[in-house]
Amino acid sequence: MSAPAIETRGLTKRYGTLDVVRDVTIAVGPGSKTALTGANGAGKTTLLGMLATLIVPSAGEATVAGHPVQPPAPALRRRIGVLAHLPMVYEELSPWENLAFFARLYAVEGAAARAEELLRRVGLWARRHEPTHVFSRGQHQRLALARALLHAPDILLLDEPETGLDPEGVAVLDELVLRAPGLTVIAATHRLDHVASWSDGTVHLDRGQVVEDATRGSASGARAAATAGGAGEAQ
Amino acid sequence: MSATLAVLRKDLRLAWRDRSGWLSATAFAAISVLIYSFAFDLAAQPVRPLLPGVLWTTFLFAGIFAGAHSFQREAEQGTFDAMLLSPAPATAIYLGKALSHMLALLVIEVALLLLATILFSTALLTPDLALIVLVGTVGYVSLTTLLSTLGSRARARAVLLPALALPLLVPLLIAAVRATGASLGDPVGTAPWTLLLLVFGIWSSAGAALLFPLVVER
Repeated sequence: MSAPAIETRGLTKRYGTLDVVRDVTIAVGPGSKTALTGANGAGKTTLLGMLATLIVPSAGEATVAGHPVQPPAPALRRRIGVLAHLPMVYEELSPWENLAFFARLYAVEGAAARAEELLRRVGLWARRHEPTHVFSRGQHQRLALARALLHAPDILLLDEPETGLDPEGVAVLDELVLRAPGLTVIAATHRLDHVASWSDGTVHLDRGQVVEDATRGSASGARAAATAGGAGEAQ
Repeated sequence: MSATLAVLRKDLRLAWRDRSGWLSATAFAAISVLIYSFAFDLAAQPVRPLLPGVLWTTFLFAGIFAGAHSFQREAEQGTFDAMLLSPAPATAIYLGKALSHMLALLVIEVALLLLATILFSTALLTPDLALIVLVGTVGYVSLTTLLSTLGSRARARAVLLPALALPLLVPLLIAAVRATGASLGDPVGTAPWTLLLLVFGIWSSAGAALLFPLVVER
């Protein structure tokens, strides 16, 4: 069995006396698609922030792509793509300028071709030179998706990725990320109707703690996968 | 280096496209100097020693206005986090932001010196004073860039930057005002104020570049 792409042991984030994330231990296999569910304030965004290396854990440890998340190594950051709650793009710049800037930060080779490919796929190629501030929320999200994929990461951390997207945008998200073979994805989501169509595992958080773990790397997830595999063979 | 240049270029482009921060800082600076020129005849000998203080007070607040605006925008759009997520070293990002802030502030300062030269009938665009303003601006910007980053993550960001920056900038302001006075021929004693300004500039630049990766941690 291959090593988990994402693994946490006792991961905790404390602000003052409040444990926003408490003792989270999960393992996510390479290439798997995991839905992170839970009510508002359950700790999903903070957990993703720690995995993305942006938030320093108070206790416990986490490895992503074999690298510890703290201190964050450049090699790790090259392998992670993040689609956060905010689009994280410059409103005053055009989509083309946004991608050109982030391509320089990531030292992307063949940046122009990569940016063109992504802008075409997210449907913003025709508007690549318009200032982003005139875009709708869904178009911002499409651009954010292109930014997250620009450096061809193999691990994607998504926070409510469907936000603002129309059905066509959701289809693009599905094609590029959620159903893309080989990509390891953890996505915090409230769209439970959509989860079943792309995820092969679920981690449910409640007040910072894992209350259900059915990921491919977990014991219950492994049992579920074996059951599903057995059922498949029987068919 | 490449990341620093990318951040510098991007920030200058943003400053040009969204001119509200720098325009309001420039307007503030121009209005301040204009009011001082009406209030005092600074070219006259008895109040002449006030001129360095007038200049540096105006530089100080113009820089705080403009810097806070730039960092607030990054915090609101989440783009600062997007930069931190990249493999670019945090120090390279800091240098890019500090350089862009410095270039934009220098433009305001040169414009202000030109205006003050006219209003106060005093030659202010001299090589000596240009050096003092440049060195003082390096020290000032390196510290305020660090503190703006810290302040942009706080809820009370509007008051945090001045509250943090002003006490830390006192040594720089004293040295800058004294060095400016000396360059204008005022009797300010024999202390090597320009050298002190240079030492502060080096200390604050090095310190801020080293501390920046810690400041951006959450």
